Amino acid sequence: MECRVLSIQSHVVRGYVGNKSASFPLQVSAVHPRLATAGAARYTRDNRARAGAGGREGHMVLGFEVDSINSVQFSNHTGYSHWKGQVLTADELHVLYEGIKLNNVNHYDYVLTGYTRDTSFLEMVVDIVQELKRANPNLVYVCDPVLGDHGSMYVPQNLHPVYKNKVVPVADIITPNQFEAELLTGKNISTEKDAVEVMDLLHKMGPDTVVITSSDLPPRLGDRFLVSFGSKRILMPDGTRTTQRIRIEVPKVDAVFVGTGDLFAAMLLAWTHHYPTDLKTACEKTFSVMHHVIRRTISYAHEMAGPGRRPSPAQLELRMVQSKADIEDPTIVMEATVI
Amino acid sequence: MDCRVLSVQSHVVRGYVGNKSASFPLQVLGFEVDTINSVQFSNHTGYEHWKGQVLTADELHVLYEGIKLNNVNQYDYVLTGYTRDDSFLDMVVDIVQELKRANPNLVYVCDPVLGDNGAMYVPENLLPIYRCKVVPAADIITPNQFEAETITIKITILVMNLLHSMGPDTVVITSSDLPSPLGDQYLVALGSQKRVNADGTMVTQQIRMDIPRVDAVFVGTGDLFAAMLLAWTHLHPNNLKMACEKTVSVLCHVIKRTITYAKEVAGPNRRPSPAQLELRMVQSKADIEDPAIVVNAVVL
Repeated sequence: MECRVLSIQSHVVRGYVGNKSASFPLQVSAVHPRLATAGAARYTRDNRARAGAGGREGHMVLGFEVDSINSVQFSNHTGYSHWKGQVLTADELHVLYEGIKLNNVNHYDYVLTGYTRDTSFLEMVVDIVQELKRANPNLVYVCDPVLGDHGSMYVPQNLHPVYKNKVVPVADIITPNQFEAELLTGKNISTEKDAVEVMDLLHKMGPDTVVITSSDLPPRLGDRFLVSFGSKRILMPDGTRTTQRIRIEVPKVDAVFVGTGDLFAAMLLAWTHHYPTDLKTACEKTFSVMHHVIRRTISYAHEMAGPGRRPSPAQLELRMVQSKADIEDPTIVMEATVI
Repeated sequence: MDCRVLSVQSHVVRGYVGNKSASFPLQVLGFEVDTINSVQFSNHTGYEHWKGQVLTADELHVLYEGIKLNNVNQYDYVLTGYTRDDSFLDMVVDIVQELKRANPNLVYVCDPVLGDNGAMYVPENLLPIYRCKVVPAADIITPNQFEAETITIKITILVMNLLHSMGPDTVVITSSDLPSPLGDQYLVALGSQKRVNADGTMVTQQIRMDIPRVDAVFVGTGDLFAAMLLAWTHLHPNNLKMACEKTVSVLCHVIKRTITYAKEVAGPNRRPSPAQLELRMVQSKADIEDPAIVVNAVVL
């Protein structure tokens, strides 16, 4: 049974951000039929028997169906010297959704959103998510609440209350960085305990899955790493609730990449779908994909730039297509600690 | 080394047409695919409903400018398909031509989408752009049969209709470089006549003729043709097919007599002179009076 994602993000003619960063990886990803998804095939003993070596659960290699609404169409991301293009208004977004609805095909298993600059657009997105959830109560809304980083906002200030009061409450999975997590909760993160408390506060706002994608807490593995956290509220078969929490340290790379957050959210969607009750493995896989793509990208960028030269934004575009095999089946290269 | 494709096609939110249909397969084969979405629709137009927005030619140009300003307008391939707007198509070709100047090895793959099963499903004004600008710039084209025929024949019909609208009710294109179904020893002529029926309705008859080529240069044949067309349209005023068959047949007879005579007079392996190639006019009187039909006109 297919798994259908509605992704509402930017489109760039060249490069990998927004929908360009999310679509291809989701389309090449394997989809695991699981009981929890409405209409999914049953997870039978036959599927188990087809499992390959290495203990992987049997899966049908279908790929996610990705419907994409492009919130903008730009020549390239805004980190280049120049960029040009057009934006979609909230009304135009609504018109596109109406087309889908009139054909009675507004049924989705996931919605995925990221970087947005316009409050009316964001509010329209929330309306659409709410309507889709009424059509499918099992729908999972994966939201990257893009507000800023390293202590400052890079979207208009008036998006903050919209995220806090409207978006995050309907989200099921969110992927804030430390700055965004602090901004949404009003609480600073100086220690691991703070991070856990902030994630609990975020759970209270709505989402059952929270991943703080990066923080400036001191890594145990040394300063070539950065620390990320994850927290997932799970409803056990016996009706009790439990919270899985993990800490994961990932190698730092000395470069500025664009589109990695979008890739991360898309891959977290895929791997939490594949491991719905195992946040540790879902995060290990997701962060590992990121690591492989980034490593390949930085190698290529340095090669193209030449020795002693800083790679350009064009040279630093993610090596997405070249990383297909790592996206399909990532070798785990870091271990998450349960906290 | 990367192989980079610029694909300018439709985007649909749901489903697989245009760029949605082209990107993923190319990407899984390892191509870098830059995509300009010419429209964004909810879904393709075969559904009961569809809604969305189109990109104008200006907006297309703006996007290309962004790529160009960053000096990344280098592509190995361009890929285009279904387009509905003449100025958009025009802009696409301008972009292709510029990209080809930047990379002379660029391969332009063009699906000249015009229609199928006998009917056009794009506006007619795209035809001359396909014929005159797009197809000449393309390296690989993938027309269906209707499109192949339409690009080659129907353009000329469009041209004849345009000429009608300028005044003349009868237009004969005496020769063209259109390919003949009988092979390259033939050239194609076309004719079109507008007339009013007895009941007052307007009708246009259009015909095509495949005429055997002769390997020589004649002078005066165009003048003979026009004179004979005068005569035979006078004698067959509502039958362009008959008038053209007779006219062309006269030309064939005169030319055949002329070339035979010219070669005889010139001698073996000698090119006949202009003097020797003068039309054997008076010698062809019988053929002029009553030409045997040697060419069949096909009504289009």
